[in-house]
Amino acid sequence: MTTGTNLWLGVSTRQMIQSKAGYRRRKLSNIFMLAITGLFTLLALIPLFWIIGYVIYKGGQYINLDFFIHLPRPLGITGGGVLNAIEGTLLLTILAGLFAVPPGILAAYYVSYKPNTLLGIVVRFGTDVLSGVPSIVIGLFCYALIVKNQGHYSALAGGIALAILMLPTIIRTTEEMIKLVPHSLREGSLALGSPEWKTALSVTLPAASQGIITGILLGIARASGETAPLLFTALGNDNYNVGKIIQAGIGNHQNIFTILGMIINQPVDSLPLTLWKYAQQPYPERINQSWAAALVLMILVLSLNILTRVWVQLRANRIHGK
Amino acid sequence: MDKSPHSLTGRRPAPHWLAHLRLALHYGDRPWSALTIGMALLTILLMLSIGLLLWGDSSQARAAFGLSFLKPTSDASWNPVSGNFQAWPFIYGTLATSLMSLVLAVPISLGVAIFLAELCPTWLRMPLGWLFELLAAIPSVVYGLWGIFVFLPTVVEPMGNFLASTLGELPMLTLFFHGPMPASGSSLLAAGLVLSIMITPTIAAITRDVFLAVPLTQREASLALGATSWETIWKVLLPYGMSGILGAVILGLGRALGETMAVTMVVGNSIGGSLSLMRPGYTMSSIIANEFAEAVTVLHSQALIEIALVLFIMTLLLNILARLLVWRVGRGIPQEARA
Amino acid sequence: MANKPVFTNMETFMTEEKQRAPLTLQLDMASKPGESQPDRGYKIEFHDFSFYYGKFKALGKINMQIPRNQITAIIGPSGCGKSTLLRSINRMNDLVPNVRMEGQIILNGENIIGTSVDVVDVRRRVGMVFQRPNPFPKSIYDNVAYGPRLYGISHRLGLDEIVYSALRQTALWDEVKDKLHQSAMALSGGQQQRLCIARALAVEPEVILMDEPASALDPVATLKIEELMQTLKETYTIIIVTHNMQQAARVSDFTAFMMIDNPQTRTGVMVEYGLTTRIFTNPKNKQTEDYVTGRFG
Repeated sequence: MTTGTNLWLGVSTRQMIQSKAGYRRRKLSNIFMLAITGLFTLLALIPLFWIIGYVIYKGGQYINLDFFIHLPRPLGITGGGVLNAIEGTLLLTILAGLFAVPPGILAAYYVSYKPNTLLGIVVRFGTDVLSGVPSIVIGLFCYALIVKNQGHYSALAGGIALAILMLPTIIRTTEEMIKLVPHSLREGSLALGSPEWKTALSVTLPAASQGIITGILLGIARASGETAPLLFTALGNDNYNVGKIIQAGIGNHQNIFTILGMIINQPVDSLPLTLWKYAQQPYPERINQSWAAALVLMILVLSLNILTRVWVQLRANRIHGK
Repeated sequence: MDKSPHSLTGRRPAPHWLAHLRLALHYGDRPWSALTIGMALLTILLMLSIGLLLWGDSSQARAAFGLSFLKPTSDASWNPVSGNFQAWPFIYGTLATSLMSLVLAVPISLGVAIFLAELCPTWLRMPLGWLFELLAAIPSVVYGLWGIFVFLPTVVEPMGNFLASTLGELPMLTLFFHGPMPASGSSLLAAGLVLSIMITPTIAAITRDVFLAVPLTQREASLALGATSWETIWKVLLPYGMSGILGAVILGLGRALGETMAVTMVVGNSIGGSLSLMRPGYTMSSIIANEFAEAVTVLHSQALIEIALVLFIMTLLLNILARLLVWRVGRGIPQEARA
Repeated sequence: MANKPVFTNMETFMTEEKQRAPLTLQLDMASKPGESQPDRGYKIEFHDFSFYYGKFKALGKINMQIPRNQITAIIGPSGCGKSTLLRSINRMNDLVPNVRMEGQIILNGENIIGTSVDVVDVRRRVGMVFQRPNPFPKSIYDNVAYGPRLYGISHRLGLDEIVYSALRQTALWDEVKDKLHQSAMALSGGQQQRLCIARALAVEPEVILMDEPASALDPVATLKIEELMQTLKETYTIIIVTHNMQQAARVSDFTAFMMIDNPQTRTGVMVEYGLTTRIFTNPKNKQTEDYVTGRFG
């Protein structure tokens, strides 16, 4: 069949190339290895369904309305809930967002427009590195910086710790979203005489806003699931109840700032912290509540994730005119 | 005319009030610049302060123990009462669990990445990618909870017993594989397995992006020569993307080193003196998590902070190395070290 | 022998050519699609070959023969499906999702379209050189050795000789013999393209497809490639797609001219096919004549 291949030395090599047995071996190993990659994909996804399934199964058994609206009851008395943890999670997340979002967006604005200056390069590098620092180390940092100096654990310290965790995510997403805004938009605004800061606030950032919000939501999803940084900052608080604090404050005629101070300067619990504490206690009641807390946490985190992905997809569909 | 800006008398005319306003608005530019630069500096400041603080607050411990704090030793002690601290058991635990997780996660992540990038039908790509992101989004404590009550009894304990009875009997390997496996399953093996599940999405996602970034022409060149798909992947795409893949693996390793909650819940938290993977162990992040809040003596806290310092330096170096290898593969939101 | 002309759309009278040109090929036999053909000296034959990208019909009922050990050029305005036709011969279009093929492409008597065909084998027998040189980021030696190594050919079994031979055939040996283990990416564009040709030769193909192989190269390198093609055609059958008519006229023995049938459907069809000298000096079809004289395209 092959014509004019008398340049090759050795009949054996030509036979090798044309041998049918060799082909079969290669084709078989091709199919085999490709099947293995599919197998590995399935294998890697099994824990996802296993964990979600189990959390729904066990957590669903113990979840009820009480769980959401009551504080924990002492051991031995059934019932009680994790209101303190839910309020704590909300508070910490809000604080984290407040501390992380403005600096993050501003820093990202600088970096996206001046990426090649020394500061820009160092900040991008620093952000990447900061994102790799273990969260427990960040917790220790906040302990030394805030808790030791204040003399007590607080939601403030916890919020700042979570903010440090969120910061790299927000900077990175915002930077990429700002880069996606067409130059013509910004230049058009500047050409009309609008100063830089006004252009940023009224043109560039709003144009990138949907992507930025996505980044913030994902950062929040991550922060709300964190435990380690809170171990030495927020610590945990079985009696935390914002409603009671506000009531007490109003009763004592304290002004709004004092009340706010009361809210954020106490140790607080959070859902992951509660999960952690309860899971280690040898009482079935607590273990059950752990599962229920896990269910609530998972619903919170996963729905935030799914929501942002769906939103991104819808936005993309709208842009492409589907 | 007097109103003309080019007055013949040479005097400059009074500025229009609109010009005043514009000037005032433009002054907003300087505070804005300062603000953005300031916030950018904040990030760097944070990083430096963390390092400095850890260094400073461990000074007593460092002075007391020096480098022997870190030395491998067979009779390591961690005694808050007597004030004698040695970090080796924790360093070993962290290294053992992290390396174990890599051994499992790297082949699996590679397979997943190859599947997602090369073989998966287009309609399946996004949904599968989402599923892996969900896997990465599960909080660490939930992994721990599931680990303690579901994964360990079902998988780890039988597996540990099996390995202990087979590999644990072999003369060379008995050091690392001897039993007995605790009934609860809490062991270095448990932590390694859970960690491998947790870092797989990270490594797989970056590796998939690396594969997708290889130019189509390379694939075409290989296939046109009569290579099969697998041969193309293994002999052309993999070498082409090797630096990126290495970066992904190093990032995964960094995550594994810093992981706290899930590991603490399943690793057993005991300093047994045994190197075996089937026995309970302790990791650097776990000891900090367990003891810091109750540390009474200053030396105790400082020893714990010194461990945090070591952890910080390790993850810092790994992160720098990884970023040099994978400088911005252009992903959306990469996964970072979590607890 | 019956001298019935056979090509689609246009009648091309090859019998005159046969009397004038000293070729021994029997190019003028009747054939009906679907008939199994005896080996009449063609390397490749297209029988009613149509190609679809999803709903879009890119090629419509191509009928053509490619003679062996000759250089055949496929020319035509851009978008008429030349590259699609070329890439169908070594099944590279399979990489695109949603493609469909009808008809037959016969290589040495077997149809290479169809689900039972071993695509990997076809691709070995039909080598391809791409528009932009695409060497692997490996050493020069490893680039050429890539193909043979897939078959288990090692140093012991003559890998060095194969590499030597392939590099000699592409006139690259003297230029690279001292730097075989340096990276291929350090070579110039022309050298890289010749390396890609050598790489394709190393697996003993029967046909070499070239998709605008010199379009990314400077004139000196282009000339080298064209000279190379003349040498190679003694051993291999070469099919080249080019949008450069002068190149087609210089280099090829046979030329096939393709065009879009109408602006609505934009399906590519084979308009005329025959000896290069005749196509360019005495085309039978008005469209061919307009194209080769430069009136459009």
